[in-house]
Amino acid sequence: MPEPAAETLPIEETPVSPSAEAPEGYQVRLDVFEGPLDLLLFLIRKKKIDIHDIPIAAITRNYLEYLDRKTEINLDREAEFLFVAALLIYIKSQMLLPRETDLAEHEDPRLVLVNRLLEYEKIKAACSLLREREDVQILQWKRNFIPPLRGESELEPVELSLFDLAESFFLMMKRRSADETRTIRGRDVSIEVKMKELVGLLRERHMFDFLEYFEANASLEEALVSFFCILELVKSRVAVAVQDELFQTIRVWLRKDAHRTDHHE
Amino acid sequence: MNSPLKNIVESLIFVSQEPLTLERVQAVLEGVPAADIQAAVDELVADTASDSRGVQIIRVGGGWLFSTKPAFDREIRRLLQIERKNRLSSAGLETLAAIAYRQPVTQAEVSAIRGVDSTSSLKTLLEKSLIKIVGRKKAPGSPLVYRTSDEFLLYLGLNGLDELPSEEEIAKILQEEKAADA
Repeated sequence: MPEPAAETLPIEETPVSPSAEAPEGYQVRLDVFEGPLDLLLFLIRKKKIDIHDIPIAAITRNYLEYLDRKTEINLDREAEFLFVAALLIYIKSQMLLPRETDLAEHEDPRLVLVNRLLEYEKIKAACSLLREREDVQILQWKRNFIPPLRGESELEPVELSLFDLAESFFLMMKRRSADETRTIRGRDVSIEVKMKELVGLLRERHMFDFLEYFEANASLEEALVSFFCILELVKSRVAVAVQDELFQTIRVWLRKDAHRTDHHE
Repeated sequence: MNSPLKNIVESLIFVSQEPLTLERVQAVLEGVPAADIQAAVDELVADTASDSRGVQIIRVGGGWLFSTKPAFDREIRRLLQIERKNRLSSAGLETLAAIAYRQPVTQAEVSAIRGVDSTSSLKTLLEKSLIKIVGRKKAPGSPLVYRTSDEFLLYLGLNGLDELPSEEEIAKILQEEKAADA
């Protein structure tokens, strides 16, 4: 879209008609506006102002009234609105400056703002057309958008976060520590060995039950090492931990490269 | 029109998950003139548009693609167990429009057009792959440069950027809005 030709840009500010000065008939909250330009356009339209000949003083007053109505403080957003308020005041000051010669049309201090508003207005109008398209397209399902079909009875497995895993682990450890207060036998289990054991197990069985696996571990130390290994496997995306439903057992699956880990049974 | 060609082309479009272009079809069907393929597709488009069919072949993103008809959206969502498809937020759509019309653009340029910081909207649009990063601008800070993606065309059912609402259409909308205000 090329910039519109600003044909008539009288330098003199025209007074606002009395009707436009009337007090606000209804309240509009600031957060319904996308941004300061949106608010300005709204005011210009509401007061039936010619966008090429904006009465800066009046519009600034209206604009600031809206800013005063803010209900919550959002610094980022407010800064954007204040920036435009400052711009309005700057433009007004430029217009008030006495000059030796009259300004040419293209020197109207309002031009910067007008051009921005016109451009924004077009984008907004384009948005309403694009929204119409979106509304139609969204109803037409195309093959690339269709998600995999879920069986009705099939529960959707929930991929767990490491925190869920950790929580289960500590719960279980607590249970174990109750009956394992004897001296711990000195059998060293290295992470390396355990890792190989786990991967081997997964390769062979594709899957194992998280809780069952730990119950089978001989010592607390071994269980701990296994747990670290599982975390590592999940993290490095070799394995995936899933839970059918909350509070159910957690199963660890070997991740096939082609993300088809759920059809081995 | 010999019907085998039509059926072959229909199958090709069926297995294709992205818009199937004339060139791709031509590459598969060596020696078949483009005009014949085009004629076959035109017939398919017309056939599937009729009420006797539930799916249609549409021209979008510069190629052809199977799509369902809007009338069956409710049943499809029920099958797929999808409550509703989310539309873009108005900030998202505004950002997308600014990029579509002004591309290639930087984040700062988009924000300037909107008068609002657009960083998070850009991020969302990137996640939805409606826009893509095409490089860096040779300017201070070498900011990233964005363009709309092929996915964008598909999303809005466009064949190319030239099908975006034109200057005239936009002017018409603005006039209508002003007339409504008056």
